[in-house]
Amino acid sequence: MSENLGWVGTSPPRRDLKDKVTGEAEYSADISFDDMLHAKVLRSPHPHAIILSVDTTEADKLQGVRAVVTPFDISNGRIAPDVSILDKKVRFVGDEVAVVAADDPYTAELAVKLIKVSYDVLPFYRTTDEALSEGAEPIHAGGNLINNGPLVEQRGNLDEGFAEADLVLEESFTTPAHSPAPLEPRTALAKWDGSRLTLWKSSRGIHADKASLSQALGLPSKSLRVIGPHMGAGYGGKDETRTAVLASILSIRTQMPVRLELSREEEFVAGRRRHSTMTTLRMGLKSNGEITAIHAKTVMDTGAYLSSGPGVARRAGQGALYLYRCPNVRYEASLVYTNTPTAGSYRALGAPQGHFALESVADLAAKSLGLDPLHFRKKNQVTIEGQPGERTTPVNEIVDTQPSEGGIPFSSNGLSECLTLGAEKIGWDQPVNGIGESFSKSIKRGRGMSMFLYRGGPGGKSHAAVALTEDASYSLFTGVMDVGEGSATVLSQIASQVLSIPYDEIELVMGDTDITPEASITAGSSVTFSSGLAVKDAAEVLRNKILNQASQLLAEPQGVLNLHGSKVISESGKSLSLSDLVEHSGAISAKASVVPGSSDYVINSFGAHFVEVEVDVETGRVNISRYVAAHDAGTIINPKMAENQVRGGVSQMLGFTFSEDMEIDPGTGIVVNSNFLDHKSPTILDFPDIDVVFADVTDPIGPFGAKSLGEPPCIGPAPTIANAIYDAVGVRITDLPITPNKLLSAIKSHKA
Amino acid sequence: MDSFEYHRPSTQKQASLLLTSSPRAHVVSGNTDLLGEMKQGLVHPESLVSLADVEGMKVFHINGNESKLGSMVTLSDIVDSKYLKVNFPALVEAAASVATPQIRSIGTLGGNLCQRPRCWYYRSPLFDCLKKGGNKCFAVGGLDKYHSIIGGEKCWIVHPSDIAVALTALDAKVKIFGPSGYKNMKIDDFFVGPGIDIHNENVLKEGEFVSSIEISCDDKSSSTFLKFKERQSMDFALASAAVSISLAEGKIHRAGVALGGIAPIPWRLQEIEEYMMGIPIDDLRCSDEFSAKVESSLGDAKPMSENNAYKIDLAISHLKRALDKVIQDLC
Repeated sequence: MSENLGWVGTSPPRRDLKDKVTGEAEYSADISFDDMLHAKVLRSPHPHAIILSVDTTEADKLQGVRAVVTPFDISNGRIAPDVSILDKKVRFVGDEVAVVAADDPYTAELAVKLIKVSYDVLPFYRTTDEALSEGAEPIHAGGNLINNGPLVEQRGNLDEGFAEADLVLEESFTTPAHSPAPLEPRTALAKWDGSRLTLWKSSRGIHADKASLSQALGLPSKSLRVIGPHMGAGYGGKDETRTAVLASILSIRTQMPVRLELSREEEFVAGRRRHSTMTTLRMGLKSNGEITAIHAKTVMDTGAYLSSGPGVARRAGQGALYLYRCPNVRYEASLVYTNTPTAGSYRALGAPQGHFALESVADLAAKSLGLDPLHFRKKNQVTIEGQPGERTTPVNEIVDTQPSEGGIPFSSNGLSECLTLGAEKIGWDQPVNGIGESFSKSIKRGRGMSMFLYRGGPGGKSHAAVALTEDASYSLFTGVMDVGEGSATVLSQIASQVLSIPYDEIELVMGDTDITPEASITAGSSVTFSSGLAVKDAAEVLRNKILNQASQLLAEPQGVLNLHGSKVISESGKSLSLSDLVEHSGAISAKASVVPGSSDYVINSFGAHFVEVEVDVETGRVNISRYVAAHDAGTIINPKMAENQVRGGVSQMLGFTFSEDMEIDPGTGIVVNSNFLDHKSPTILDFPDIDVVFADVTDPIGPFGAKSLGEPPCIGPAPTIANAIYDAVGVRITDLPITPNKLLSAIKSHKA
Repeated sequence: MDSFEYHRPSTQKQASLLLTSSPRAHVVSGNTDLLGEMKQGLVHPESLVSLADVEGMKVFHINGNESKLGSMVTLSDIVDSKYLKVNFPALVEAAASVATPQIRSIGTLGGNLCQRPRCWYYRSPLFDCLKKGGNKCFAVGGLDKYHSIIGGEKCWIVHPSDIAVALTALDAKVKIFGPSGYKNMKIDDFFVGPGIDIHNENVLKEGEFVSSIEISCDDKSSSTFLKFKERQSMDFALASAAVSISLAEGKIHRAGVALGGIAPIPWRLQEIEEYMMGIPIDDLRCSDEFSAKVESSLGDAKPMSENNAYKIDLAISHLKRALDKVIQDLC
């Protein structure tokens, strides 16, 4: 590939590597101004209450306090349909009541304590059961069950499916309110210059933030500029704008720059958490192992506000609807408000919750029928033909990446290859060997697996611009944010592949709404695919324009010309440097806009995970001795980064599987573990070695054959590990996280 | 966080004087715990008296079988000491199990013994619990999975120090400095449960601080400390066990057995210790009677609910493993 300087499929270092490891990289909280004020939020101590009055007299008097904003002196702007800038009702302990700007953070903190609030305290609901109980006080006007009923998706006839079954299995599962715990807490810095507002914000979507701010503040779009510095990780969060709106209002009132940076405790409660769920899954099977019907019902706790709840609820069902070839399926999801911190988008949204139920029942089904879990899956997995049934999407319309209808093939489907590769790597057909070395009597070994699918990359309309500048260098303009996953590097590789230049010779212009084209938020594992297609298109248009110019200057047909580094080279041996070219033509630029997707295919990514565990039956400790993650993400643009993406996802979900939950006191609604000690995120010593293998798949739609990879690694760990624990000790934990407490109790009652 | 004065005296006497001269003075060593408490608004000291520059508090004296460790010795110092590793493995293993390398490098021996409980109701500024002068233990009927299963009267904290558990098994002595000079006491007398003092976990009075720790070893002895935590770094014990045994002519002549993570103080199992005294180590190894005694050594435990009952099994399994290891070492 050296001939055309190909970068796709190679692993050059991340473009931000040096800045990040040397500490040069600037995050939102690193930016400051001499006259900058510091903001602090007064948060509700009650989980559910009406604010009767707010007395700011004492706070106003404190020297150094510049502004205090309360729900009583603010216009009624909304940040989301169910989120006011500041509301006269609070819905969880930690909900925003008022905000102060002062000369320094200590004064702001002190001022917050001097604000007196009178509350009318309402009954509160910590669980979905409580919130749905007869006569429960509505948390929002529409009631506690969103849309007054479940979301329903189905295909075929469920009753017929279960009637055909020889065996029907049903089990219920719960999953925890797992927090993404990004190292960088949410931060916004607002600077109003009298006519225009500039925001520096930890953000996963600066253009979306700009639209949200414009709506909430009632400012025209042209009066707003959002800048996204480096992100200290998003994991699906940081697209909401409440902190930015509060900082903006304070900046406009004080005419000074204002920074609002959340503390660690605030980040846990006022950030976004994973939706906790209860899923009941029923599966009908013929005695030969064929699945005849799947019915999944999920109740999901969205917390105090809706956030991305509907999207999460929908995604939690896709496994049940689509992973197994099955004519009769139904998914119902009820989304419920509670008086707990808001749930939102967290890496892979509902997919880990839904797949935990599905893949645990699949394991149960295989064991019940005496089938090997791998063979059971190979027998029933959805293949490239897709699901049985009739296509309902009109022929020329783009097919949803999460359909429930059948009759549409996949663009590519490497699920079978993932199953084979992963099984080979872990040695699935070999016996589980030996017993641990020390305390050997108490260690039991087991092996488990699961598989999954995920929407494959098409996001919103995507734009990119690429330019050959007057100094004969390239610039790439894209409005998406690199949230830490490395899209800056991958998009550079895509452009450099087309333009045949080293990937780091392209100047990247990102993270500023004034100078980048519109873009969606970095969400749904869509950037490589969707922005990648736009970048590839734009680079191809630019390449054509350059070759066209060169063809005139060299008097050669365009067909014999090629870009090679800083030159255009002709097959005849003539060449033209890009500097000479721009001297004649001036700067050349090209743009592209794509609506990513396909009207012929469902585009999905796939994978299968395998694990070997050692369970200590006397302590409940589970040691992961081997982990294999096999993924179909189409062409892998940057293998090193992709492998790390997979390892990161698996490691992150060990917390969801074993130790992390938001602990909310039943008597008060207060989160008691909003810190890194008590919210038990795994540490580097807990991460196992993870073997990553990629299926050899080239997707016909994605850029250079690529599909999505960001979120899928998070789907496999919980069911894979739970299935291995069952294999080791014969107990099936259906209630995550699998703490030593639960495991010890289950082992004890299993013995008895 | 409120502002405060910061003092760095150079003698113990000055430190004690400074501590008594202001009603809201607080002693500070590595400051890995106190600073967190101040940021949370749990304590509001007017002045901090640092022991960092106080003469003689980083001593590490070895005199025959006696060792004296100044309370400002860091946990990393303990982890790195070959002498301690050979003679007091339980202490080194306990120190190595604490927190993270960063914290161990500034956290001190004295500070570790005097750290405040990790009970999440105590740590959250939003709960006015008994320990903070309120009138309720929120863990009762609340979230109790990390709370005590024995010795919790009214307040169900567990003592957070791993080193305290090891030092209890090693029968350490605590030397305190205060307004009236030095005081020596057995480590068992240093810690107090909520039945005696609900607001404090030890007997230190105004102007007093831990000056040093003394431990002694015998010619034929071994010890170990085992800890169960939910993650391998940065975590406190759900349960831990420390065992120290010395032999004279093949028979046990000193035995220290303590459990951690389950009670408001390091929990010494005196009955087990007494049972072992004078028994030939080889006999102990295959004694069914002893196994049964160990198995039922937490018979008095009263878990708060089914959510923390698992701690009994965890503590017993770690106790058995610790005993096995030490007995095996000595056989």
